[in-house]
Amino acid sequence: MKAALSAGSMLRGTATTIAFALIVVPILIVVVAAFSPNDYFQFPPPGFSLRWFVEFFGLQTMRDAFVLSIELALASATIATILGTLAALFLARRHGAIAALLQSLFLAPLVFPTLILGVALLLLYKTIGMPVFPGLLLAHCIVGMPYGFRTVLASAQALDPALEEAGQSLGADPLRTLFLVTLPLIWPGVLSGWLFAFIVSFGELNTALFLTGPGVTTLPIEIFSYLQFTGSQLVIAAASSVQIALIVILVAVIERVVGIARITRAR
Amino acid sequence: MKSAWGWFLLAPPLVLALVFFVVPLVYLFWVSLHASSTSELYGAALTLRNYSDVLADSFYLTIVRRTLGVAAVILGLCLLIGYPVAYFVALLPVRRRMLAILLLLFPLMVSNVVRAYGWVSLLERRGVVNSTLRDLHLIDAPLDLLYTPSAVVIALMTILLPYMVISIANTLAALDRRYQEAAQALGASPLRTFLHVTLPLSTPGIASGTLLVFLLTLSAYVTITLLGGPRSKLLVSLIYDSVTAFQWPRAAALAFVLLALALAFTGLILALLRPGRVQGAGR
Amino acid sequence: MSAPGPSPQLASRTRGERAEQHPADVQLVGVRKRFGGVVAVNDVSVEIPRGTIFSLLGPSGCGKTTTLRLVAGFEQPDAGEVYIRGARVTSMPPYRRDFSMVFQSYALFPHLTVAQNVAFGLRMRRVARGDRARGVDEALELVKLRALADRYPRQLSGGQQQRVALARAIVVKPAVLLLDEPLGALDKLLREEMQVELRSLQQRLGITAVFVTHDQEEALTLSDRVAVMRNGVIEQIGAPREIYDRPRNAFVASFLGASNFIDGVVVAREAASIVVETPGTRISVPGDKAAGERVRIAVRPERLRMARTDAHGLPATIRDIVYRGPVTHFYLDSASGPLLAYQQNARAGDWTIGDEVRCAWDADSAVVLDGARE
Ligand SMILES: Nc1ncnc2c1ncn2[C@@H]1O[C@H](COP(=O)(O)OP(=O)(O)O)[C@@H](O)[C@H]1O
Ligand SMILES: [Mg+2]
Repeated sequence: MKAALSAGSMLRGTATTIAFALIVVPILIVVVAAFSPNDYFQFPPPGFSLRWFVEFFGLQTMRDAFVLSIELALASATIATILGTLAALFLARRHGAIAALLQSLFLAPLVFPTLILGVALLLLYKTIGMPVFPGLLLAHCIVGMPYGFRTVLASAQALDPALEEAGQSLGADPLRTLFLVTLPLIWPGVLSGWLFAFIVSFGELNTALFLTGPGVTTLPIEIFSYLQFTGSQLVIAAASSVQIALIVILVAVIERVVGIARITRAR
Repeated sequence: MKSAWGWFLLAPPLVLALVFFVVPLVYLFWVSLHASSTSELYGAALTLRNYSDVLADSFYLTIVRRTLGVAAVILGLCLLIGYPVAYFVALLPVRRRMLAILLLLFPLMVSNVVRAYGWVSLLERRGVVNSTLRDLHLIDAPLDLLYTPSAVVIALMTILLPYMVISIANTLAALDRRYQEAAQALGASPLRTFLHVTLPLSTPGIASGTLLVFLLTLSAYVTITLLGGPRSKLLVSLIYDSVTAFQWPRAAALAFVLLALALAFTGLILALLRPGRVQGAGR
Repeated sequence: MSAPGPSPQLASRTRGERAEQHPADVQLVGVRKRFGGVVAVNDVSVEIPRGTIFSLLGPSGCGKTTTLRLVAGFEQPDAGEVYIRGARVTSMPPYRRDFSMVFQSYALFPHLTVAQNVAFGLRMRRVARGDRARGVDEALELVKLRALADRYPRQLSGGQQQRVALARAIVVKPAVLLLDEPLGALDKLLREEMQVELRSLQQRLGITAVFVTHDQEEALTLSDRVAVMRNGVIEQIGAPREIYDRPRNAFVASFLGASNFIDGVVVAREAASIVVETPGTRISVPGDKAAGERVRIAVRPERLRMARTDAHGLPATIRDIVYRGPVTHFYLDSASGPLLAYQQNARAGDWTIGDEVRCAWDADSAVVLDGARE
């Protein structure tokens, strides 16, 4: 029995090591490659250089895509979180079939094949003549809304309902109760929802694939096109590292502001 | 009064979800029922041709079969590797478990195109794997690792593996230890405790991990394209190609074929695993 | 249970004249509320005169909280009307009604300091900054917490949090103060202390209050009037002493403390009383019932006197004796069933188990209950 136990735990330990390696190595490789001094990536790297970052920021299309991605992520995360928060506050204390239906609707983009949403939106936009940027922004809002909705819903449901009633009992109307009581208390949920929506928007591919247009391209799509049409060059490693660096910073912010526990529970 | 406030909260998100999520999908379905047109987005005539073509054409069927095959292999690998890993992670002390889950979550935040590119730079002809093997004198000429179904499988599997691990680990970590203790107190060996208690109680995690991995496999166009190349196309590639060829009704029909696969699989998993029956067994 | 009833001074405050001097601050008329299949509040009508504490007493789930929330406006009645200070508020949202509330969980805002919590209601009423600070100071003074004004709620003990909740509720000088089991989370000693404090504060400020509790002692200690509820219905309303001494039915009698029930048949009617034939003896009780009617009589254990067999009374045998400090409980068997008697230890006789006794009580200590059998 002892032997079986230790065999089991050895199996688990080995599987875990292999799994983490498979998950992390491809990302590490990209970061290491970005600092290569050569035209091609060699392993182990013969030196260290920032030339590919210089080249990345020197490329107009890459720079524009980077800026657009940030703008898009800021705007869509903000809109998505506000709307997700409203939805969560509406549903936090409601039960029954309609509430369950609404909840599934707001969470659906999490599991829905977003590529199909991209196709459907492109078709709709073509029919109604939607300009590129607002169309892209709305798509990112749809994709980001579940994150704000979910984290705020959890926070709002954990809130003692008597707190909001206490606000009302002291004469605060619903709007004032929202701003003076509810929001200050669910703020960590709102903030982590916003950060998740930002991260998701910043890496979004499946709707942006269809909805970007000439001159209006996000960084992930720019990387994808570059890989497809120009080939695998190390400027892509630099672009990817910029993507990764921004996410590292955001995760650090989440950890500082709302704590690590909230991140690990959120997914 | 109360309902006015309710509408104030509900109306904005509901309008967004209806107008830019539900309506486009309904419209897409509507278009899938029309003949194609060279001048318009879609023709005037209502028809089921788009669907019957897909179901009759052996080319499409091959692709559908390949898609399901690739998804099945990825899913199998994710379960096989993911469960022991999840078990390992779930048994860690709280602080280290959170760290492990954070380590699993972080890759999910990095854009898939970056992670796919990581695999490209590993597998391409001048990639890390080939150059290492050459340095070790194990091969003379570079191997063609990229643009194969195996490349798609390994890349997508590792990209999606964290979803499986996290889903199962969260369920396992939340399991009340007393169930296992009760089983052992009743004389069950560790293996039988696992088979008869732990495994059934972790079905909610297995179900949600399985669904996530399968659904995300179906629409992972970028990874499939970068690692599979033009010869290892899957169903999503066809949808993309139809869109770029302005064959809207065809693209729409293929999209709904994909959705139908997703729905059928979801129904199957829920029916097989019935995760609801052990819901709430956590602490 | 050992010391039932309020102190004489509290109980002697009568309600009738006060009610005539002042209009009712809270009035419920035929109020009804159901949740799905559960009728939580069923046709409740009460009037609460200014400056009095009104208690809603009853077992868990009987509809006390719902009644309170109907006054507050957190629930809308399905039928009936709610008035506060004479104004119909039935369809008015809570934040426009003139009341404040102490919640069972206290519901102190965790992100605000004690002073900010207390100031919240004044801010909502747009009280000028200076007056606000003065009001907060006074209110905290009343609950003896001025020193803790800058603390956050999580830095306070349960008792202190309770006082902050009270200060926050009284600082706005509401037409009515609603309290939902406000002392439920405190330990026994602190609870009794707070009961006295709450009562004296209420009397000093002349507050009208509705107090929800499932603790009969608390209701008797605090209230001018008590309503005993069961299954959404008010079984009896009255002053504490009236409710305790003259329960209308067996539910009220037993909910307010131990009671002996003796069944019998009316055999004679006298001026203001009836004579009831019971298996053990004949009993004379105040009341008005027809001869031949089956009735149930209630007598509190502390009213039961035990005497030697040469005295008159209901014959009984001592089955068990339990010493409880100030009193001793005697468990008796009689032809009318088991009986319970309390005796002050200061004057307890030396009885032993198995002794034959006669049980007697003053005629006005017994009550005829409604609905002969439960
Ligand atoms: N919001 C609600 N939804 C459904 N049932 C409720 C709700 N509030 C109270 N009830 C039901 O109404 C009855 C009375 O509840 P309540 O007023 O809270 O009782 P009490 O405060 O006397 O314990 C109970 O049966 C309770 O389950
Ligand atoms: Mg209650």
